[in-house]
Amino acid sequence: MDIGSSALTAQRVALDVAGENIANVNTPGYSRQTAVLQSQIPVSVNGLPTGSGVQVATVQRAYDSFLQNQLVAANAVSGGTSTTNSAMQMIQPLFNDVSSSGTGGLSGPMQDFFSAWQDLASNPQGVAERQAVLSQGQQLVDAFHTMSSGLTAVQGNMNQNLQEITADANNQLKQVAALNVQIQAAQAQGTQANELEDQRNYLVQQLSNNVGVTAKEESNGTMTVTLATGSGGTTLVSGNQAGAFSLQANTSNNGFYDVLVAGPDGATSNVTSQLAGSSAPGSLGATLQMRDVTTNNYLSGLNELASTLVQQVNAAQSGGYGLTGSTGVNFFTPTTSAADMSVAINSTDQVAAASTDPTTGGTGNNINAQSVAALANTAFSMTGGNMTLGGFYTSLMGQVGVGVQSATQNDDQATSTINQLNNLWTSNSGVSLDEELTNLTSQQQAYQGAAKLITVGTQMLDTILGMIQ
Amino acid sequence: MRVTQNTSSNLVLQNLQVIQQRQDVLEQESSTGYRVSAIGDDPAAAQQIVRLNTQTAATNQYARNINAATSLLTMANSSMSSMQDVLTSVKQLAVQMSSGTYNAQDQAAAVQQLTQLKNQLISLGNTQLNGTYLFGGFKNDTPPFDTTGAFTGTADSTNIEIAPGTSVSATYSGSQLLAGGGGGVNAMAMMDNLISAVGSGDQTQIGAQLSNIDQVTSQVTSAEALVGSSMNRLTTATSVGQDSNLATSQVVSTLQDADYLQVVSDLAKQQTAYQAAIAASAKVSQVSLLDYLS
Repeated sequence: MDIGSSALTAQRVALDVAGENIANVNTPGYSRQTAVLQSQIPVSVNGLPTGSGVQVATVQRAYDSFLQNQLVAANAVSGGTSTTNSAMQMIQPLFNDVSSSGTGGLSGPMQDFFSAWQDLASNPQGVAERQAVLSQGQQLVDAFHTMSSGLTAVQGNMNQNLQEITADANNQLKQVAALNVQIQAAQAQGTQANELEDQRNYLVQQLSNNVGVTAKEESNGTMTVTLATGSGGTTLVSGNQAGAFSLQANTSNNGFYDVLVAGPDGATSNVTSQLAGSSAPGSLGATLQMRDVTTNNYLSGLNELASTLVQQVNAAQSGGYGLTGSTGVNFFTPTTSAADMSVAINSTDQVAAASTDPTTGGTGNNINAQSVAALANTAFSMTGGNMTLGGFYTSLMGQVGVGVQSATQNDDQATSTINQLNNLWTSNSGVSLDEELTNLTSQQQAYQGAAKLITVGTQMLDTILGMIQ
Repeated sequence: MRVTQNTSSNLVLQNLQVIQQRQDVLEQESSTGYRVSAIGDDPAAAQQIVRLNTQTAATNQYARNINAATSLLTMANSSMSSMQDVLTSVKQLAVQMSSGTYNAQDQAAAVQQLTQLKNQLISLGNTQLNGTYLFGGFKNDTPPFDTTGAFTGTADSTNIEIAPGTSVSATYSGSQLLAGGGGGVNAMAMMDNLISAVGSGDQTQIGAQLSNIDQVTSQVTSAEALVGSSMNRLTTATSVGQDSNLATSQVVSTLQDADYLQVVSDLAKQQTAYQAAIAASAKVSQVSLLDYLS
């Protein structure tokens, strides 16, 4: 009878576990559980060892800590690549000289500008040609402005995103600390907290997508979370204490935010450059990297091009003579930044086509116009060696193109890594309905058998009791 | 490997997504006609395309320059041959007047004729194209020869770039042509001398001007030769430019254009794969142990 009753209890627990599994088949992060049955210690009856039934030793969860760590690491990479990819997709149209709509890029406006000077060389007195030089100059300036402000807008966007990412991460850090408390309490009572641990694992994966972290389970059941920025990463969660990210405007970096971490121990540290250089950056690190490194590189390339162009055109233009004898006049306002470029002259007479004063030497003098037009084919000493303005721009555009391409490829690769790990995870920890249904059937049968055992026992007892009557 | 319901459904989802991504790329290629429509598609090809497109644009600009130079030179050429005609008439008249005897009336008629020829020479020297005086050097917005035939222009010739680093002289200054610049003979002074010699019947002086006439004629002839060779260079430059544009556009097309046949056939393949994947996954997820348990 006792054996039958222990079996009934054990099978009921097993049924409950199967029920829990089936109920959570689609719960993200849920690992399937198994009731581990164990025979009870046999007792000696008449000197013979006799079994005394079954008990549930434990409810185990199918969990692979190695896989969990890999998922956390893969999320840190994938969060970074998807951020980088979407930012590069925003930058790409600015430099897209090969778009089917013919918009974007600088190679067209730059070519048009120097072509206008060529036309002027063919007809140095022509008002229409002079006007064309001015308006192509203005269009070139506009193109520089569009690109420069587009890049600055991407930086601003990235900066704004930091608020949402850190808010999200702070929330997740608090939840991990709260779960730590509950799990530790459960373990202290000697019970298992399988579902809570699943929740915590899943939470850490999502956190890692936001900010690259590494997580370590302590012997007391709590999880310690640290920034995945190499050895000595800042601790974010320790026991029941959660750290928090905060943002602080940095005036020496265009007023963009610096990312600070207030650790569980209360010490605050600035992790901006640490995150921007991390190889497992998460969204946060990649956002900083795009804002402070990648976009800045493109901007400085653009500024170098603008500055060289302005300087060279000004030198050539101011050495020549306008139609009415003006000389020493700059074409562009001198600047070293693409954002501040502007055309300095507004009168067509001031466009210097002549190499000597046209009022005495004749207005047909086109020598200076030719010198300006020839700048298009002149190599200047710029970063990356001696190259023409067009060549420098093309290589800058190539850099952006390679950036876009590798961002796309990295993102695809990170996504497929995550997919593969998730497949492994569902294979290892996921609930299989077929399996649960089969278990259910065998448990049902075992339950029926145990019940039968009790019926037989009862009948035997009845027989004995009948004899007494 | 253990397979669960979610394993299969995740796999189906991932694979369908891969097929759709490929389809998306192919559809973009077929609708734009470009294999490379963004620099990230193929950065190396994009750089080449931009370089080649810049080259094409430059060649087109040079073609415009060549057109401008051609019209200037054609105009100059035709006025130079008219100058030759004038000089031939002058020479005939001078030869005629340098021998034999003529009365005052004949001399007056010859003077009148020569004056007219000089005026013709002045007006040919003031030939215009679109308001530009061809022989004025850099001072080409005012007539280079005044009514007396004095040259007011400059000795410069306008260079026009017809290929990177290559220029042609698109104008020839009246200074070297008719005004005696560069050690030549001043045609207008020669005409004045001739007219006064004919007026006074000074046959020695007329004879002396004959060699000057020849000298001016050869000045015009050599200018014509120069203009002719410039025009030849323009013709060559034009055909070089056209050839290079054709070659460039072919290369750009190879780099940038989508191969329609390939795209359409790939697209059909992907669509078939997509349909097969959907049909198969629908079949797979229909089967469950639940159907067999009662």
